[in-house]
Amino acid sequence: MKHTLQQVFRSSKFVTGFCIFAAILMVVIFYPLFVPNPPLEIIAQGSFFPPGTYVSTYDTVFSSKAYTLNLTDAATKRIAAKLGDQERNDIKEYLMLVGVPEDQIDSTNTILLLDLWEKNYDPTKKISGMIFSKVRYFERLNKSLDGLLSEEGLILASPNIDTGTLEQVGIINLSDYVNIKEVASVRTLPLGTDNFGRDVLTQLVKATSVSLMIGLIAGLIATFIGLVLGLLSGYVGGMLDDIIMFITNLFTVIPSFVLLILISYSVGQEHRGAVMVAAVIGFTSWVWTTRAVRSQVISLRNRDHVNLSKLSGHSIGYIITHDILPYIASYVVMALILQISSAILAEASLSILGLGPKTSEVPTLGLMMNWAMIYQAQILGKWWAYFPVLLVIAMITFSMNLMNTGLDQVFNPALRD
Amino acid sequence: MKRLMFVLTIIVVFTLALSACATATEAPAATEAPAATEAPVATEAPAASGEAAAEVVAGDTVLPREETLYFNGQQWSAVVCWNPYSSNCNNAMAIAQQDNARTIMFETPYMYNMMDGKVYPLLADGPYAWDEGMTKITFKLNAAAKWSDGSAVTADDVAYTWASHVKYNTGTGAANILYVADIVAVDPQTVEVQAVLGDDGKSINPLLVQAYLSSNYVMQKAWTEALEARAAGDAAAFMADVAEDVVYSGPYGKFFSDDTKVVYIRNDAYWGQDASMWGKLPAPKYLAHIIYKDNAAGTTALAAGEVDVSQQFNSNVQDLWLEQGLPISTYLPEAPYGIGASLPTAFFNTASLGLDNVAVRKAIAMAVDYDTIIANAMTNQSATFTQVPRSLMNPTPGEQAAYDKAAVADLQWAGNDIDGAIALLDEAGVVDTDGDGFRDIDGKKLSYVATCPNGWSDWQAAIEVVAAAGAKIGIEITTQYPEWGVYQTVVTNSPLPAEGYDIFMMWSDGAGPTQPWGRIRKLLSGEFAGTTNNWNGNWSGFDNADANALIDAIPTMTDAAEIKAAYTELVKIYLTEVPSFTLMYRPQAFHTVNESVWTNFPHEGDGTDPAVPPLNLTDGYSVAGLYNLTLVK
Amino acid sequence: MKGYRRYFLNKLLWLLVTALFAFILNFTLPRLMPGDPVAAIVARLAQGMSNSTGMKAVYEQYAEQFGTNKPMITQFVLYVSNVFQGNFGASFSQFPRPVIDILKSSVLWTVSLQFPAIIVGWIIGNILGVLAAYIRKGFDKIVMPVSLFISNLPAFGMAVILLVIFAVDLKWFPTSGGYGFDLIPDFSWRFIWSVIVHYQLPFWSIVLIAIGGQAIGMRSMSIYELNADYVKYARFLGIKDYKIVGYVFRNAMLPQITGLALAIGTMVGGALVAEIIFSYPGLGTTLLSAIQGQDYPLISAVTLIITVMVLLANFAIEIIYGLIDPRIKAAQTD
Repeated sequence: MKHTLQQVFRSSKFVTGFCIFAAILMVVIFYPLFVPNPPLEIIAQGSFFPPGTYVSTYDTVFSSKAYTLNLTDAATKRIAAKLGDQERNDIKEYLMLVGVPEDQIDSTNTILLLDLWEKNYDPTKKISGMIFSKVRYFERLNKSLDGLLSEEGLILASPNIDTGTLEQVGIINLSDYVNIKEVASVRTLPLGTDNFGRDVLTQLVKATSVSLMIGLIAGLIATFIGLVLGLLSGYVGGMLDDIIMFITNLFTVIPSFVLLILISYSVGQEHRGAVMVAAVIGFTSWVWTTRAVRSQVISLRNRDHVNLSKLSGHSIGYIITHDILPYIASYVVMALILQISSAILAEASLSILGLGPKTSEVPTLGLMMNWAMIYQAQILGKWWAYFPVLLVIAMITFSMNLMNTGLDQVFNPALRD
Repeated sequence: MKRLMFVLTIIVVFTLALSACATATEAPAATEAPAATEAPVATEAPAASGEAAAEVVAGDTVLPREETLYFNGQQWSAVVCWNPYSSNCNNAMAIAQQDNARTIMFETPYMYNMMDGKVYPLLADGPYAWDEGMTKITFKLNAAAKWSDGSAVTADDVAYTWASHVKYNTGTGAANILYVADIVAVDPQTVEVQAVLGDDGKSINPLLVQAYLSSNYVMQKAWTEALEARAAGDAAAFMADVAEDVVYSGPYGKFFSDDTKVVYIRNDAYWGQDASMWGKLPAPKYLAHIIYKDNAAGTTALAAGEVDVSQQFNSNVQDLWLEQGLPISTYLPEAPYGIGASLPTAFFNTASLGLDNVAVRKAIAMAVDYDTIIANAMTNQSATFTQVPRSLMNPTPGEQAAYDKAAVADLQWAGNDIDGAIALLDEAGVVDTDGDGFRDIDGKKLSYVATCPNGWSDWQAAIEVVAAAGAKIGIEITTQYPEWGVYQTVVTNSPLPAEGYDIFMMWSDGAGPTQPWGRIRKLLSGEFAGTTNNWNGNWSGFDNADANALIDAIPTMTDAAEIKAAYTELVKIYLTEVPSFTLMYRPQAFHTVNESVWTNFPHEGDGTDPAVPPLNLTDGYSVAGLYNLTLVK
Repeated sequence: MKGYRRYFLNKLLWLLVTALFAFILNFTLPRLMPGDPVAAIVARLAQGMSNSTGMKAVYEQYAEQFGTNKPMITQFVLYVSNVFQGNFGASFSQFPRPVIDILKSSVLWTVSLQFPAIIVGWIIGNILGVLAAYIRKGFDKIVMPVSLFISNLPAFGMAVILLVIFAVDLKWFPTSGGYGFDLIPDFSWRFIWSVIVHYQLPFWSIVLIAIGGQAIGMRSMSIYELNADYVKYARFLGIKDYKIVGYVFRNAMLPQITGLALAIGTMVGGALVAEIIFSYPGLGTTLLSAIQGQDYPLISAVTLIITVMVLLANFAIEIIYGLIDPRIKAAQTD
């Protein structure tokens, strides 16, 4: 045993796969310890907030210390954020449309440009040939330019409880800064939020663990059924073998995906918990294991040590557990690994079809993907809502297949490098 | 190696043969079908294979981009038939007989305009009039109105259409027979709609009688007779006929239809170019609706400029212009981007433990965070309850003016009022008696299932928020999403089951000629309480004598102040009894346009008079927008 | 040849038995679903209707037409006799359209997308696999992990990635559909070109996934073969490398053909989901809308057609395999 393990861990493929998998597992286990937020908690009012650090505006204003920094590029940056090259060109285009000669417009001179804009922009003026969305664009642009060059601070006011009139409580100057460490409430959302307003990363970690669990349950069920049927069929043989092989052959040719769809559909959404989906996947994917185990058992059945055991009068159960199982254990482990990874893929595919586990209890990788697509994340460029999910699915299955290939090479010396 | 290539060739050839076989064997099967199957199916099969041939009327197979207006979001699978007597043609663009009827192919006597709540003549000439005793409506038909075969639209056609609806008990017939007694032709241009009269000798429901005129198409008598001859008197055959030969009066007719699109072509002889109607033809030569698989595909096409008018929920629609800089706009420049018209509503199952207690119902409704629902589920495409306080009215100015806001102000709640909800429950004596963190009644903890159909994404997102509110006020609320097939059979059949449907979502009416009365009736009227196969409303079975009396009385009221008082009273009852609570406002139709090719779409302040409603240029008076379109220069 | 006939008949019998079994599954499973699809149709009619007795009448009329008020066994007999006449009944969600009419258009799209894609993926994958096995070293180090990684992406994931990169961002290819949004099917060059352009992304998303899996399998097979005695002997004889690779390729190929027969079902499943991402007008999208529309005549017809297609493909591969595999040939001469 020890020797086998040593050999296994000498395979570079297995080790790479194992490391990736272990890393994923570590994150799944330890992340919730550091970030104990409930994964399905709706924190955002609005959907698909981009990744980044969110600083409470209110707390920023009332941060205990205010610092004054006189940065020379602050004003330039502030202006550039609202008035980029695109906006300057658009303003120029508008000015020309309303009849300002081109040589009077210097789109690089902010002050002159804004001055011209203020003089010439008239929201009520109909410009022939300008489409309506452009009209609205200029309205928005005009609004955003308001007060851009202001040097004055903003006054903070709050209503007096008794009279209801606004009273000044403070001023925010252009050179006021806060140290982000001193702001009371700051939340970093490394992967933003999803369509429900949930923290994608926290949800993704939970979803990964649920999907791994689905994979494990489905894999165990499939491997167990496959192992039992394969052993019976291969060792007992005869009529039983014929029947089992008949059923196995049936399920080999009928696409398991079709079966999965039909069964999941029939079960109905209200009964489709994560475990149920795992079970359905498990019960439709045992065929390969059965075939593999059976052929192994048949080749073992007539080996000398098995015959010897038979002659010594050992029971079938004893022979199977002592003389056969140890010899096929490596195959079974490999089959299990493959089953787990394909079950994770199956769950994801089912969810895309709307046949995955029910939504509200736990997230799964497939459900996250499905909801991101329902809310059109891929079209709107909200990559954080779906790409990390795809990547995690691929990394899990990749690592497991890599481990499997590594094992294959260890146990099939012909394949060794 | 050679042999291998040979084998591969065989595989490829075989595959091709297989695909060829697949078509070859299926084609005859389809034509055999009529002989082999039962009667109802048999009548459909020949027509269906005719449709599969997808004949093209005119020669061109490319739809010139500058002559075609592209739609999406109305048609989600292939068109089935062209028969307005059938209510199952799945032909959304051509056939939609509703409050805001779609009139691009078939026409109604009047068009409803949700912007001002008035109707405008289409096939009719001038306004309709009730007689002195409120027993019948008389209206004239436009003398210019013609069918697509060139014959005139006459009062006989209107009368015969109604007679056929009744004779074959179509959806339209069944829905109106209790209110419309008969429709007769006085002379070729004059139609008389006789109402069913109540004990007082007046129409029992004038609102529904006059709504008939803007909701239902006029069909040609001659064509209807041809259809009857084909159906040989069988109602099922009459309604299931595919009607490829249908005669219509509208500006567009069938051009092409298959699984990926449906195209309508302008009838250049359309009668509406007469000065008495539009005075010109609508701008696009073709109206095309591509069938997209889901919202994502539709949004992609809209962004790519392959769709001009989009009637679907585009999540975060503002990103299309703010972040992607596309020439796309909605009716309003800022959230909610469209005009809310219907009220997706959560109903209470009053048979569930504790939900018969108004304090519990109101506490749940108060605790729900509506702002989150509106921001997340609807991506802000709904007015908030701060902007438009809760009532039975939709957010249109006309309906908002129909009740006295100030009179119900103290009954309002804005949502996310956890303290208020807790206080209300404590006051009502609904408290946690066993210390498990959940409130109890008679020693049993309050635990509810909130539900809506699976896959209805914005509703599911809303229900999640409702469930989250429960935990904050000590009531356990879990969620469950049955398939629509299961869901709808349960909620439409009284009594509701003891489990699984404690708080459930359904819809309400939008904007229309009978509103807000029609919506209020469907939300509150006791006539629907305890009924089975109830597709109207009031699924919580609310039955309040005061409300019932008011609902019965409003249609025959004539005094504006009296009507306003009645509506205010109904809102009071609604806010006090909380039989259901609205979760968001939803537009009558989503209306997002891309100005890559066409421009001059209806938008707020576009200067049209009367204002063209943002209903995709197809519904009700919105069809007027088709005549204003111009190409982008 | 007598032996081959027996082989053929044996396989044919299998085809029929499995087809029958698939048939029963397809009928029963969707019908075990609780709920009432007829009510779903009535729901659509309901909008605008304001009296419930009328609704009731409509409901009963439809229940009668669909036979949902009859016992399950009667429905089954009805269904069997109809299917054998090529009639799958009327669709629920697109009533009164016959199911066969809906399938007729989508089957062709799916067949002409998936089978070429799977075969091309299989061929490319096998060539890469044998090259990886032969060259080993650098090539193996790159091809092997890359194929493994790609083949482990879910099919829909590959589709989404291709869609976002090539259609949404680069705009090289259209985002959805089977042909141009502004075209009406005919035999013009414009239309055919449009079909070809729309074909590319769905096609490559299936091919790329298939390549990975096949390359890995072929590599293992080829390594087995490369270590076989005949190769060593051939090397010893000084036979040129490319010839040896040719032999190895041929021998390793045989198990790969059976592998294809067995994997085709799985591949079709994945490819169906890929179709959905591109709104390709094939069976995948039909299946999705059938599931959403609770349309069980359509669901069972689609799954039946997919099963039958896979069965036929399997059968075809086995028949060809019987013709070329020397071992089966040898068995036939016994």
